[in-house]
Amino acid sequence: MAQERMLTGCSAAAQAAKAAEVEVICSYPIRPYTAIMMELAKMVANGELDAEFVHGEGEHAQLSVVLGASAAGARAFTGSAGVGVTYAFELYSPLAGGRYPVHMAIADRTLDPPGDFGSEHTDAMSVRDQGWLIGWACSPQEVYDNTLMAYRIGEDPRVMLPQIVAQDGYFISHIPDKVLLGETAQVKEFLPPYKGPHPLSVSCPVSHGPQIRPDQGAPMDAQRAQTFLAVPEVIEQATADFNRIFGRDYDPFLEKYKLEDAEIAFFIQGAHANTCRKTVDMLRAAGVKAGMARLRWIRPWPTHQIAEALGHVKAVGSIETSTSYGGAMRGGNLIHELRASLYDLDDRPLVTSFMAGLGGETIYPDDFKYMADVLLKMVKEKRVDRYVRWIGFGE
Amino acid sequence: MSKKLPEYGTINVPTERGVPFGAITPAPVVQQDLFVTSNWRIVRPVIDNETCTRCLTCYIACPDSCWAYDEDKDEMVWNWKFCKGCQICIHQCPADALSPVAELDFPDGVHRLEKPF
Amino acid sequence: MKAFDYKFQTFEPIKSFKDAPKEEMYLPGHRTCAGCGPALNYRLVAKTAGRDTIFIGPTGCMYVANSSYLCTPYAVSWIHAQITNGGAVGSGVEAATKILMRKGKYDGDKFPNVIVMAGDGGSVDIGLQAMSAMLYRGHKVLFICYDNESYANTGIQTSPTTPYGANTTFTPPGKEIPEGKVLFPKNPPQLVIGGHPLVKYVATTNVGYPLDLMNKVSKALSQPGPTFLHMLAPCPKGWGFDEKLTMEMGKLAVQTGMWSLYEWEGGEYKYTHIPKKYKPVSEYMTLQQRFRHLKPEHIAKMQAFVDEKISVVKATAKPIEAAPVKA
Repeated sequence: MAQERMLTGCSAAAQAAKAAEVEVICSYPIRPYTAIMMELAKMVANGELDAEFVHGEGEHAQLSVVLGASAAGARAFTGSAGVGVTYAFELYSPLAGGRYPVHMAIADRTLDPPGDFGSEHTDAMSVRDQGWLIGWACSPQEVYDNTLMAYRIGEDPRVMLPQIVAQDGYFISHIPDKVLLGETAQVKEFLPPYKGPHPLSVSCPVSHGPQIRPDQGAPMDAQRAQTFLAVPEVIEQATADFNRIFGRDYDPFLEKYKLEDAEIAFFIQGAHANTCRKTVDMLRAAGVKAGMARLRWIRPWPTHQIAEALGHVKAVGSIETSTSYGGAMRGGNLIHELRASLYDLDDRPLVTSFMAGLGGETIYPDDFKYMADVLLKMVKEKRVDRYVRWIGFGE
Repeated sequence: MSKKLPEYGTINVPTERGVPFGAITPAPVVQQDLFVTSNWRIVRPVIDNETCTRCLTCYIACPDSCWAYDEDKDEMVWNWKFCKGCQICIHQCPADALSPVAELDFPDGVHRLEKPF
Repeated sequence: MKAFDYKFQTFEPIKSFKDAPKEEMYLPGHRTCAGCGPALNYRLVAKTAGRDTIFIGPTGCMYVANSSYLCTPYAVSWIHAQITNGGAVGSGVEAATKILMRKGKYDGDKFPNVIVMAGDGGSVDIGLQAMSAMLYRGHKVLFICYDNESYANTGIQTSPTTPYGANTTFTPPGKEIPEGKVLFPKNPPQLVIGGHPLVKYVATTNVGYPLDLMNKVSKALSQPGPTFLHMLAPCPKGWGFDEKLTMEMGKLAVQTGMWSLYEWEGGEYKYTHIPKKYKPVSEYMTLQQRFRHLKPEHIAKMQAFVDEKISVVKATAKPIEAAPVKA
């Protein structure tokens, strides 16, 4: 029987790891993801989950431990937040290039300086060029679902890549919501066991990662890029299977909310999409043709899908809960790739961005309404006057 | 709706330039023929089988595993393909059964490779 | 915790080279310098450990030189680790093997020897955190520090085990700093001993005493928990001596007191190969280019440091030492 429980995002991630029967877990505490590991520790201690629970000495060690574990053929799980994510930086490329499909659960936290427990997406964003599959969840249910999908997609023989499922710290990680847990039979049907192609073994000895020459480095990069060309199809198949088996209705790449006839649209990811959705309803009630496109994967970035979903919209505003100091738009991260996705359209939308929710602040419906006013004004004047507006700071 | 969007294109790595999946290579079995080191040496160790006591010191002393004991022939066997000529074996031999001889003195000496490695 | 028989391997000591395992697990065909001390260490470790072994190779000479290019000399499975995380990757391999065995998914009938071969930097400098954590957590892994007393692969830079007075590219002697290296080195086994409750066996080895080395590897691999070996690995290029003297340089290190051979087991020290009369350190130092610049007052300082070490040996060593073993 599928169980429905009230779970925080952290609990949902732990439940997904348990359902996936992860084999090696490496923990290290850092707010606000710690609860994921606390719950898994309890499961291991009382025999609910037979796994090796390794107390890592730091986040760099966490990623190193799961690298070794995955190389040896085990399904591995770890996680972190904020500066923990950046402390582990050395390991992201070796994990991706070595094709070790480990899973990392990130509950976002603003980066130092100084300490700020609130959620910003910059932590997981900063990893985006390293070759991992990365996407944001907007609810504890989606955390649970995305984690299972991540393992299925990452461990697919056509992919074999590590994955990050990110959730906003506090808003998702700590606020409970309804989660429908999968039945054992459903999980078994959806997620086959992990089988690495060449694990470290005694019977068939292999060498993982000998030194290469520069002329061997280029084909290595090319082959990694080639893999990413194959990933979208795997994502589509896995999402379709997940929807069918678990009775969900996910679009593989974008949640398209009231977009079909929208004139203005919000482009957003993560927790604040929930407020955004509610505000879209309010705007619609007031006669504004607003819509929302919520990004579910940033890697691989769904370039064509975004162009198709937003091509007809007159003005799009991305909501940036991360920073890219000195970036082209002097604001956040999503705007660059959003504009790039829409650039080749004959009749491309006007695109701007809004810095909001930084530091872990709440974004209110009034904020989204203000953004809608800006977008409507852009449509009226047929121009983008500013790349970025910092909500609450001199717009 | 819109003109055709650009494609991602294809990436074709020619077979001769391919790198194994995840840079994972099979383990060698007897020796690593992709890294021959015979052309490093300027002397080679020559053994005097009369003086040799079969103590196995040279076999143990070689960082490149270039000495082996042939049980059937009761002789030490030297690896021509990989010996770097470091002379540790010569220096360590307690019976003075090994001596360094210029590599150029041998008809099969100075193995010149097409590429350095 | 339910008891589970992981089928750890045990090894017997050997009395002579004839009894050493015959198979080579570290094969010819690697780009290490002729006469490389670390390579000889690796070969003897691999030979002793045998086929049921997995090596973890943090970046260093024993990574770059061994595996150039896209090929390795290891007949057993091996994985590259970063210089920072040998202990952590080793922990992951060990943990995975344990769970896979418990679930009946492991392809093999014995628990493999999991061995981290880290250089001095990868053990007690940048790799210290990972090494210590692995030893603390009690993974069944042998952590070996092959000590060539420098960051050799990057062209000989100072590391925490570089001796006082050594000329390295980060401690060049000059008018202002005549010794070159001013600091005295860390003592790796002492970092491990006593501070990690699950470590029951620590030993030092020397490439000049290969039989002793192989027996210590056997002993370490026969322990049910984590172990640490500190292996002196003379480096002809880095230390500046003729490559044929690698094994002799190791012996000289012991004969002068620069290196002591001991085991620490169950809380007790056991020293071997204690010289009846120690040679002066100058005999060791004059053979190496890296000390060529030193003045008598610097040599004297080194001698004082070694004398201190010797007095510790004399105070700790049991009166009856092991019978002298041939090489």
